[in-house]
Amino acid sequence: MAHITRRAVLRSSLAVAAAGTLARPFIANAAAKTATVWWTQGFVPEEDAAFKKLVDDYQKLSGNTIDFSLIPFAPLNQKVVSAMTSGDVPDLIDINVDVLVPQNVWDDKMVDVSDVVETQKAEFLPSVYTATQYYNNVSKKRGTYIVPYKTAVQPFHVWNSLVEKAGFKLSDAPKTWDAFWDFFKPMQAKLRETTRNIYSLGLQCTTTGPNDGNNVFCGFLIANGGNGIVTKDGKVHLDDPQVKEAAIKSLTWITKAYKDGYVPSGALSWNDADDNNAFHSKLFVMDFDGTISTEVALFHDKDQYEDIATLALPMANDGKPMPAQLGVSAAVIPKGAKSIDVAKDFMKYLIQPQVTNNYLKEGLGRFMPAVPSLVKSDPYWMADPHRAAYVTECLLSDTVPNYPVFNPGWAEVNAQQVWGSAEADIIRNGTDPKAAAETAFKKIEAIIAKYPIVS
Amino acid sequence: MASATVIDVGRPVARRRSLFSSLRGSLQGSEYAWAIAFCIPYVGVFIAFVIFPVFYGLWLGHSPSLYVELMHDPIYQDTIVNTLLYLAIGVNVKMFFALLLSGFFMRKGWWVKGLLMIYVLPWAVPALPTFISIHWMLNTQWGLINNTLWDVFHVDGPGWLDTSRWMALGSVITTYIWKNMPFWTVILLAGRMAIPQELYEAAEVDGATGIRRFIHVSFPLLANLYLVCTLLSTIFTLGDFNTAYFISGGGPALSTHVLATLGIRDAFEIARPQLGVAAVLSSLPLMIPLVVILMHKLRTSDVQL
Repeated sequence: MAHITRRAVLRSSLAVAAAGTLARPFIANAAAKTATVWWTQGFVPEEDAAFKKLVDDYQKLSGNTIDFSLIPFAPLNQKVVSAMTSGDVPDLIDINVDVLVPQNVWDDKMVDVSDVVETQKAEFLPSVYTATQYYNNVSKKRGTYIVPYKTAVQPFHVWNSLVEKAGFKLSDAPKTWDAFWDFFKPMQAKLRETTRNIYSLGLQCTTTGPNDGNNVFCGFLIANGGNGIVTKDGKVHLDDPQVKEAAIKSLTWITKAYKDGYVPSGALSWNDADDNNAFHSKLFVMDFDGTISTEVALFHDKDQYEDIATLALPMANDGKPMPAQLGVSAAVIPKGAKSIDVAKDFMKYLIQPQVTNNYLKEGLGRFMPAVPSLVKSDPYWMADPHRAAYVTECLLSDTVPNYPVFNPGWAEVNAQQVWGSAEADIIRNGTDPKAAAETAFKKIEAIIAKYPIVS
Repeated sequence: MASATVIDVGRPVARRRSLFSSLRGSLQGSEYAWAIAFCIPYVGVFIAFVIFPVFYGLWLGHSPSLYVELMHDPIYQDTIVNTLLYLAIGVNVKMFFALLLSGFFMRKGWWVKGLLMIYVLPWAVPALPTFISIHWMLNTQWGLINNTLWDVFHVDGPGWLDTSRWMALGSVITTYIWKNMPFWTVILLAGRMAIPQELYEAAEVDGATGIRRFIHVSFPLLANLYLVCTLLSTIFTLGDFNTAYFISGGGPALSTHVLATLGIRDAFEIARPQLGVAAVLSSLPLMIPLVVILMHKLRTSDVQL
């Protein structure tokens, strides 16, 4: 056996280090055809199967490799925050747009993907294209930073059997916002004659995020004429009397419904999944919640699936049609990504209308396409009563992109749960809605001041 | 002057030689290089997984503006109060009852041993399923507790976690005590078992029985162990995330966060990791003195048990 000397060890170590350095270009070249992708895990197994098939099809067609991880929604958010902070990023992220995109684009941490989006620009719903335009504080202008491939709005979900058990008919529901919500209130007393602990409304007046409580409040705000609170130019109009009045009316209605006992008391701390679970356990008659995940989760239980009625938005309180808040699901390429070309190529493939259509259909149609022509040409989207209502609200009616698109400060307003906190203040501390609204406006003003947008 | 110069220059050289010699020990020739080679992986792992994360965290939370922002945040102010209450009530009630129960479990009899086995179950079973179970038990509408109240007394139970900050925080603290008390009971039980029986016999001769035996024999001998355990428990509890997160989730209306859960909220829900790290680092003014006192107590030569 040869005697190992210190010099021999040092020589060997140097040789290994040198070999490692020289081998790196080959490793890098090999990676050039592989993109690392973080994708949101589906709500139902069919969504994940649809994504795996999409990846298989793309890999066969392109010869590239998609090294993907399917990660549940909340942990993915945490993973993305960590990655963007440390700089150790994947090549493509299916991202929680409203929470994570505005700030990162503001900080110039995202790659411009206009060349990808332009390939289908003519096909996209106008609101969808608007929703791709975020403000970059380094370049001082808006640019295209997300690749949209699916959309979502908030429809109403109602247990038809509970409505009928209470002696009502859903077809009698009023056509304006407040009256529509009020329609469900008397059902509670009727249902409690036979069932303890049942409520009329799954109203999410919550301070726990990320999305539902904010979406519910904004639904009320729009219905009360406060849609102008943030405009496309990024300006926030807190001094507008109409906006102020709408905010106060919204806070008043939501908190009164809670205090009157029409909402389960735990709603104050519900997260995005809690209302779905409570609805499934028939704790309340109706819910106002994004996507038709509530229905799709019961897809294989036909009786339950068919018992739910999905309803599009009623008219605003002034009797005019109200726009739905449009959430766009999209992928982004963070700066620091190593395989930008492959990531872009994959997204160009995905946003082709027919590819997206198949992908979303195989995922049981929980999300809508971003392309209206698809729902007009493919009977699948109108064949199911849940999807039909959802499509009508999302792609065939007026929509407005979520406010963080217009001003990145609104993402922080949402994250801080400013409106949920105002509601909690009224409910827990008895604060007057007007005073709570003023406090909320002050908080918003302070947050928005951190994001000056050059027109 | 000349001699003074020689002394000034000479001292550090002598120290260096001494340090070098002590590091080298009795190793000869290439043995020393081998020793270093074998140490390098451990040093590397230590730097990568201890030094780097600590300094990266300090770097993330270094800006004074983060602390100014926290101080002006009413949620953070509530969080500080919650954390102090959590520590003061949770740790002390837990340790006090653990001390008392450790005396009970000193009793002889097979049933006491059997009871001890059942008693340590909350600590032995995994934390998350038990916390989630308790969270569900506390549900106002369909939780076990309120349903039982309804079935037995026909009354609606309170909204344990729904609207009242103090009821939710009380639920968090109670769960924390239930979960952790068995562990510290066993530690104090081991301490009691180490007290020589002869001391009790001598005390008995002097007339110290019952509570007087506890006051004059057991407690003085356990006092140092009790203090060290309390300090350790306080340090652990300061970083406890699971109890508050899974019992109240920081609710209702963000009113029951502790520093560990607020840090996660700020870092990931608000997507501001620097602010989250600053929230956690703000516990250092309490944490560092605790660690210093603990080290001092562990170093003391006047060890009782």
